Amino acid sequence: MAGRVAALRAARDRLLRGGSGRPRSWLSRRSARLIAVVGFLGPGLIAANAGNDAGGIATYSSVGAKYGYDLLWMMVVITVSLVVVQEMAARMGAVTGKGLAELIREQYGVRWSLFATTSVLIANLGICVSEFVGIGAALGLAGVPPQVSVPIAAIGVWLLLIRGSYKVAERIFVLMTIPFFAYPIAAILAHPDWGSVGHAVVAPNIHTSHAYLFLFIATAGTTITPFMQLYVQSAVVERGVGVDELNAERAEVTTGSIFANLVAGFIIIATGATLYLHGERNISTAAQAAKALAPFAGRYAEVLFAVGLLGASLLAAAILPVTAAYVIAETFGFEKGISRRIHEAPVFVAVITTLIAIGTIVAVIPGIPVISLLVGVQVVNGTLLPVLLIFIWRLASDRDVMGDYRNGRVFNVLAGLTVVATSGLSILLLAVTLGGAFL
Amino acid sequence: MATTTPPTVLHLSLIVGGTLRDRNGGRLGKVDDLIVRLGEDYPPVTGVLATVAGRPVFVPASELAEIGHGRVEMVSDRIDLQHFERRTGEVLLRKDVLDRQLINVDGARLVRANEIELARLEGWYRVVGVDTGLRGIVRRVAPRRLGANMPPGTFLDWASVEAFTGHVPSVRLRVPHPKLARLHAAQLADLVEAASHNEGEEIMRAVGDNEELEADVFEELDAQHRREFIEERSDDEVAAVLERMETDDAVDLLGDLPEERREQVVKLLPAVQRRRVRALAGYDPATAGGLMSPEFVCLYAQATKQEAIGRIERSRAPADTLAWVYVMNLDRRLKGAIALADLLRADPEMTMGEAATFLPPRVGAESDLEEVARLMTDYDLTVVPVVDERDQIMGVVSVDDVLEMVLPRGWRRRFDVLGGE
Repeated sequence: MAGRVAALRAARDRLLRGGSGRPRSWLSRRSARLIAVVGFLGPGLIAANAGNDAGGIATYSSVGAKYGYDLLWMMVVITVSLVVVQEMAARMGAVTGKGLAELIREQYGVRWSLFATTSVLIANLGICVSEFVGIGAALGLAGVPPQVSVPIAAIGVWLLLIRGSYKVAERIFVLMTIPFFAYPIAAILAHPDWGSVGHAVVAPNIHTSHAYLFLFIATAGTTITPFMQLYVQSAVVERGVGVDELNAERAEVTTGSIFANLVAGFIIIATGATLYLHGERNISTAAQAAKALAPFAGRYAEVLFAVGLLGASLLAAAILPVTAAYVIAETFGFEKGISRRIHEAPVFVAVITTLIAIGTIVAVIPGIPVISLLVGVQVVNGTLLPVLLIFIWRLASDRDVMGDYRNGRVFNVLAGLTVVATSGLSILLLAVTLGGAFL
Repeated sequence: MATTTPPTVLHLSLIVGGTLRDRNGGRLGKVDDLIVRLGEDYPPVTGVLATVAGRPVFVPASELAEIGHGRVEMVSDRIDLQHFERRTGEVLLRKDVLDRQLINVDGARLVRANEIELARLEGWYRVVGVDTGLRGIVRRVAPRRLGANMPPGTFLDWASVEAFTGHVPSVRLRVPHPKLARLHAAQLADLVEAASHNEGEEIMRAVGDNEELEADVFEELDAQHRREFIEERSDDEVAAVLERMETDDAVDLLGDLPEERREQVVKLLPAVQRRRVRALAGYDPATAGGLMSPEFVCLYAQATKQEAIGRIERSRAPADTLAWVYVMNLDRRLKGAIALADLLRADPEMTMGEAATFLPPRVGAESDLEEVARLMTDYDLTVVPVVDERDQIMGVVSVDDVLEMVLPRGWRRRFDVLGGE
């Protein structure tokens, strides 16, 4: 009886104490709630884990293979930015009880809202494609051609979202990302020169090349992905986190971000200490990227890599279409609440189906350049990132929207710097790319 | 959904941004917003906010001659510089209503105001409806000239709309939401769950005047929202809500309160209910003891049919638990049961012991949900008695409480995938 688990869970929620009966509480309600918020699967940790998806792995691996530790310093900077941005998103969710797209619509009207939604959708479509490419690549390591694996995975994800128990699947997917914790071990076993790693973290080593800028923006784009911020805010709203739980939610978002970026940093170190040192600087296949795990897993490196890549890609492939559907529903005022069954929320289903279908179609094209496509998508993401960040920044510091919970002065400066830096990079990349095209 | 297409429909987005003109058509300034007074079926325009020579100006309705797309004309040719002060019930259409969520009362759902439609009705300009479809969005995104030529489509009649006003920055503004009274408690609960917290609070406050309805809405809310809203209420308010609930639901709600407040609230309850709540509160909610209601009718085997009916007439127990009437022997042991309909049809000469031939299956207070559900299914029962170790009846579990617990979650909330437990 499937409902029984749910019923007992609901019963546990309502556990009663304080009566004359024997005490059967093993946790006070407040601390139970705290654990639910800070716990293993808060929005922040899920978002962060989904952030280390196919595109993330491809980008971090490319960074490590091409430049060794040279880009490590920016992981520190990006982590600070990510924490700042996610905190704003979570805070807005808790204070207003509304999603980001909804707030943009209410505060800036239809035109701005369409602009923001369009850029989010372009970015999301790209990432959705990249997740299915990632699924194909992961199972490709096991010898299954993407033309077989991707459609099956796509149908599975679709059924899960439309009919199934998403909560259970979410846990499985997150568990499947555990193999990526092999990266820190692999990085240590590869015996990197910790002196130069430490130096690279604190001392920026900047190259003035197009490729460096390209990877720089891809890293920013994949780490501070727009959809993650939308997801965090919507999840905070849906879970009913109120301002009284804001500090717990802040802690959760912060640890999630730091944790995910630590793993990302170790991916760079592991690839830097192996592929880069062996002169394998331009990786183009998943099999190459998997070699970074060899110091730990030996000949099982590919298996480990495949499972991790599959889990992360599936997790993001499930979250992404839903996030996109929320954004569209909020922007256009379509039904997204109140007994959302299929026939009552057709737009929801249509958006989810379309995104999955497009992702699948692209991913089964024979002979697509996997790694360059994955990194390329992250560059698009990084370029569109400023659009969303500016909205987040402005809304989070708006007195009308946030009241006493608006950004403080120091915080505003940090957020502003993030916005300016990412915007500057996007403009720079556009200029360099266009300039390169004309020269 | 009621829809109308009056002859000349004006679109708010084409009025604001237009020019404010004097009697002779001379340009005075730019129209920023329209003010309306909520409360009527079709709220009248009570003024215009405009920018004249770089300064914000308020023009009361008495100074206005005509409102149209791209222009608002005044009665006189000079302007009194007035400062806008919000009067009771007044909202700014563009700032406070456009692009925000509204309640479609007749559809019992939340909609978004993509466009606000006005028309001249009963001699003055009034809000007649909202466009919640794509047409409104397209008109606003399209260039102004193109938008003005788009024919008005069907729209939602304002008579079936309630606007949220909680975000309007004015303490004096307390707009009642009379149309909400048309909704059923379950529908109101769905709306509260779908709305943001503040909007939900506005709905709860609006139904708060009707304590019976408020208690019903609380019963229908899911655990997460019930907790959110009950915590914000004072002990007295919580007690007032609990008083109107059935005991088992009241205990559930009490469980949503922080531990330190429960005793305070229980003390505020009337004596009878206080005793019942205390008795029930000792049981695990996933067992028969936690699910049962202490309100039922059980008579001695010697009682007559007339006495039984008299007890039912005086009983304050909810109708569903009275579907079965129980019979006990002199040791108060459960001896039999009879369905209410069978009791009515029974021979008036028979005693209850003779009439109630059915020996009902029973559960102990520790029996779990599954056992109760299975008994109900096997015996086709809507009510199952709960007995103590001496086989004395303590309460009854009715099917609605069990159904609520065993219904798969997905049946209710299809796309609630981002939510927590």
